[in-house]
Amino acid sequence: MTAVREAVYLPLIFLTVTLLGGIRLGSRVALVPASLFSLVLGLMLLGVLVKAGALAPERLMNARRSGLANTSGFTVLATVFLASAQAFNLVTPESGLPHLLVCVFLLTLLLNTLAAGADRVRTLRSLLVVFGSAFILKFIVLAALSEQTGGRLKRVLLVLLEGVTLGTLTQEVLHPANGYLAFFTLALFLVGLGMLPGADRSERKELIVVRGQG
Amino acid sequence: MSESAVRTFGLAASICFAAVIVWLYAHQPQSLAEVSGGLSATIGAYQIDQVAFDEGLRLFREGQFEAARTAFERADAAHKDARTQFYIAYSFYREGWGRFYDDDRLFTRGVEAVDRAIALAPHGTLHEDDPDLMMHTADELRAELQAGLRSDSSDINPLAVLRKRK
Repeated sequence: MTAVREAVYLPLIFLTVTLLGGIRLGSRVALVPASLFSLVLGLMLLGVLVKAGALAPERLMNARRSGLANTSGFTVLATVFLASAQAFNLVTPESGLPHLLVCVFLLTLLLNTLAAGADRVRTLRSLLVVFGSAFILKFIVLAALSEQTGGRLKRVLLVLLEGVTLGTLTQEVLHPANGYLAFFTLALFLVGLGMLPGADRSERKELIVVRGQG
Repeated sequence: MSESAVRTFGLAASICFAAVIVWLYAHQPQSLAEVSGGLSATIGAYQIDQVAFDEGLRLFREGQFEAARTAFERADAAHKDARTQFYIAYSFYREGWGRFYDDDRLFTRGVEAVDRAIALAPHGTLHEDDPDLMMHTADELRAELQAGLRSDSSDINPLAVLRKRK
């Protein structure tokens, strides 16, 4: 990996995700910090990336590197963590039953990915599916359900659904720009994850063999 | 460019960007004017538009409170000047004041503005020597606005119609 990618591109990409992931456009512009649960998910995602070989911390920080190189390596790790937390925060619905369900859904998927022990490419594909489905759920499905406009049938169905879920289904109506901003942010985040320094394949094979023998 | 120069540049850029993000999250600016005003206030370089402020003051004294607020907003678009925010709060008070009842909506916005003024004033105290005003400090104005928003037995006191606007 080149020094430019490690010291400039990656931190700037992940810091941009950290900033954009918190923006909520509406009558007022709000910047929402990551919730505690998002921080936990962000940390778990780091674990998943390391286990899959999509992120090799030893290539970013080790005793052979200079202090400056280690500092820029640490910056990459810190910004990946912050961006991950903010990406989870972005795709999680703000309140009610959907918030709870999506939190459980994301936690389960991450645990599943961690347990499966997939390789780099499969893990990145899996993350694309995780973030993509959470994005569709929040910004397309729930946004459409929470929209006040619509025919009589839609309103009747919504009232019934609200009754079943004790009024915790619909969300605050989102400004349309939020969806576009979230799409761009998640795309940037996934590009950043793809650019992370991965574990060397030969080293990884050796590690698997050693583990298998052990 | 050498590798260490690239790393130093990247580190400096990351630190600056991270500082801006922390500042944005802490201050929650609502417009680009608030962003630029807030950043210049951080380094002590913020100045209001004095012409717009003087225009606002003239309109305020003529009792054209809505127009005065427009001029004050133009003067202090970043909401970073305690004195301008004080006058904005005072205009909400005077416009919302009524002999029989006060306008809660305007008083609420007045409290928001006076809170901004108090937060911006050095040591949280603001004194304005304007002979046109009957309340010269932000604390007095805040107390008056809060009293107007409170619902208690004084609301049904018939003598309340004799009170004067400050």
